[in-house]
Amino acid sequence: MSIDERTKAAPPAKATARRILPSPVTGQEFVLIGVIAVLWVLLGIFTPAFLTPNSIQPLLVSIAPIALIGVGMTFVIITAGIDVSVGGAIMLCAVVVAKTMVSADVPLFVALAIAIGLGLLLGLINGALIAYGRVHAIIITFGTANIFQFVALRVFASSTVNGIPGTLDVFGRGEAGRTFGVPHSFAITVLVVIVAWWYLRHTAGGRHLFAIGGNANAARLAGIKVQPRVMLAYGLTGALVGLAACFIIASGTSTLDQAVGSGKELQVIAAVVIGGTSILGGRGSVIGTLLGAILVQTVTSGVTQLGWPSQLANLFVGIFIIIAVGTDLLRERARRKS
Amino acid sequence: MTLVNETRPIQTSGNKKPRGQRNLASRALEALLTQRVVLLAVLIVIVIVVMSLLDSAGRLSGPYDPDYLASSLISAVPLVMLGLAELLVILSGRGGIDLSVGSIVSLSGILFGMAYGEWHWSFVASLLVAVISGGIFGAVNGVLVAYIGFPPLIATLATYYAYRSLALVISDQKPINSKEIQDFYSAAQSIELPVIGGSLPLVPLGIFTFLIPTALIVWFLLNKTTFGRRLYALGTNDTAAQWTGINVRPNRLAVYALSGVIAGLVAVVTVSQFASARPDAGTSGNGMALPAITIAVLGGVAITGGIGRVSGIVLATLLIVWLNAGILLALPGNDGSQFQLLALGLVLVFASLLNGLTKRKYGGI
Repeated sequence: MSIDERTKAAPPAKATARRILPSPVTGQEFVLIGVIAVLWVLLGIFTPAFLTPNSIQPLLVSIAPIALIGVGMTFVIITAGIDVSVGGAIMLCAVVVAKTMVSADVPLFVALAIAIGLGLLLGLINGALIAYGRVHAIIITFGTANIFQFVALRVFASSTVNGIPGTLDVFGRGEAGRTFGVPHSFAITVLVVIVAWWYLRHTAGGRHLFAIGGNANAARLAGIKVQPRVMLAYGLTGALVGLAACFIIASGTSTLDQAVGSGKELQVIAAVVIGGTSILGGRGSVIGTLLGAILVQTVTSGVTQLGWPSQLANLFVGIFIIIAVGTDLLRERARRKS
Repeated sequence: MTLVNETRPIQTSGNKKPRGQRNLASRALEALLTQRVVLLAVLIVIVIVVMSLLDSAGRLSGPYDPDYLASSLISAVPLVMLGLAELLVILSGRGGIDLSVGSIVSLSGILFGMAYGEWHWSFVASLLVAVISGGIFGAVNGVLVAYIGFPPLIATLATYYAYRSLALVISDQKPINSKEIQDFYSAAQSIELPVIGGSLPLVPLGIFTFLIPTALIVWFLLNKTTFGRRLYALGTNDTAAQWTGINVRPNRLAVYALSGVIAGLVAVVTVSQFASARPDAGTSGNGMALPAITIAVLGGVAITGGIGRVSGIVLATLLIVWLNAGILLALPGNDGSQFQLLALGLVLVFASLLNGLTKRKYGGI
């Protein structure tokens, strides 16, 4: 909850930027890296096919949309908010882009602009309602989730959108979606994570988000423009949802069905909290979110590759959430005692 | 997230006059805005009047009459019960919420189906299996939240995943619909009330066997027992409650366990309605948790805890159920179910905006 302890400890006069900032990688992230490494080694031993490009590449493609939206969700949760409407927003962005591509065969950058622009708009609607309507984020986004789904279903008109052209294949699973074996969608995601990490850690705007999550009233009294910052967090989530919707279309078949985006909001929130971001706000990291997404998707893909019932994956996701947040709680308690 | 705490003096000026001097209209407006039950009652009347007018104008595909309203109550049974479960949990404060109720409905429903349909246990024993298992699943949430200190959203998100997965795995993803379960469908049928029933519409049996008893028990717990009063104290101010000598942890644990027990009961209701124990009964589509939370918020439960009433939950459900039933008649087929999403979303957004507004204008719901 609180801003890092070292902020208080640092002598104000001689404080250098390095001493004020928290460490670049948190304990939670080291633990996650360890867990992921152990999992990959175990999976490599028990299913020899796991550590081959044919298995890792689709895994990275499946991580991309979760981690990408997770970056926005991390911003939102750092401000002590939450956005459960991303599933509905994915559905709406995906169907609008798919329909546009089917009817007009627009070029890549137009499709991207439509998706990101529409996503941004949806995010700003959430942000405006939350920042200026002063209502609890979870309630408003439950409401807008229903409304986004409604609009998406109206756009769908029939049960599926068929014959989507390969415009977005540069983000797909195929050969066109890779450079030197690295899927483009994953590379873009990593790039976004790095920029977001730098923004949160090294700019005033980023630090403001932490302050708002720690104590919105104190932040306002300290001169932070709380409402525009909150809107920015939701707007960013929306824009990234738009981009992620393009990744999702690209990694699927040429048919889009109405199940797209369903349940994604909980997957994203799971990745964010496994990554060590506190749901109470004021603490979090996008690198943790990326690692959380990697962990969640590794478990999902690993369960299938081991030949276990695929539904078992969710059980492990639940257990990982409890372990990750539980160890974080225990560490916090130990730190407070010492 | 309250960004500004102080109330605006200009807007509250009308409030400062003694009650007798204010005119009727402004008092009615205040009651409408501050008493959620009044607002919901007015909205229900508006829905029924508008739909009846549409009906008499011949715009509906079927009659919107008392018989139809009574039969549509079948979908109110799980909604009210899970809404009450969310009421208990949200009321207890500290960010209380239960995302796992839908998964508990699935998992306890499968256990009930196995006991009743496959192992041929008696109905009472199978009912106990559902209720006790639900209570245990809820207690797991309670231990995580009350004793280990998990934020409720996270704890119940984790168990949402876990229970949902277990339901699918232990049932091998197949619904259980042996003969016993199919015959159990009779429990969901509509019945005629004894004595006065002849002149009244047929009401689904589940209303009497499950909904009304649950609502009465929760009402009694909240309003007539020390447990209930402690709960309001807990939700209003956790620390203050602790300093008044309330043992916070067991009380908070009990709330989550109770929520699980109610979900276990809903599991049995759902099995009777589908005539089949489905492993995804509470989790398919949007699941059952989100509508239940929606009902709770619409019913005036403050998401920050400490405020909420049973009557609000019941009226909010009636509003949604009768509105949905009307939408289905006005727009048959897919259109209807899509517009139900829109109606639910709009009602939720406006209800919560209204909550924010009344909080600033009158200081509290």
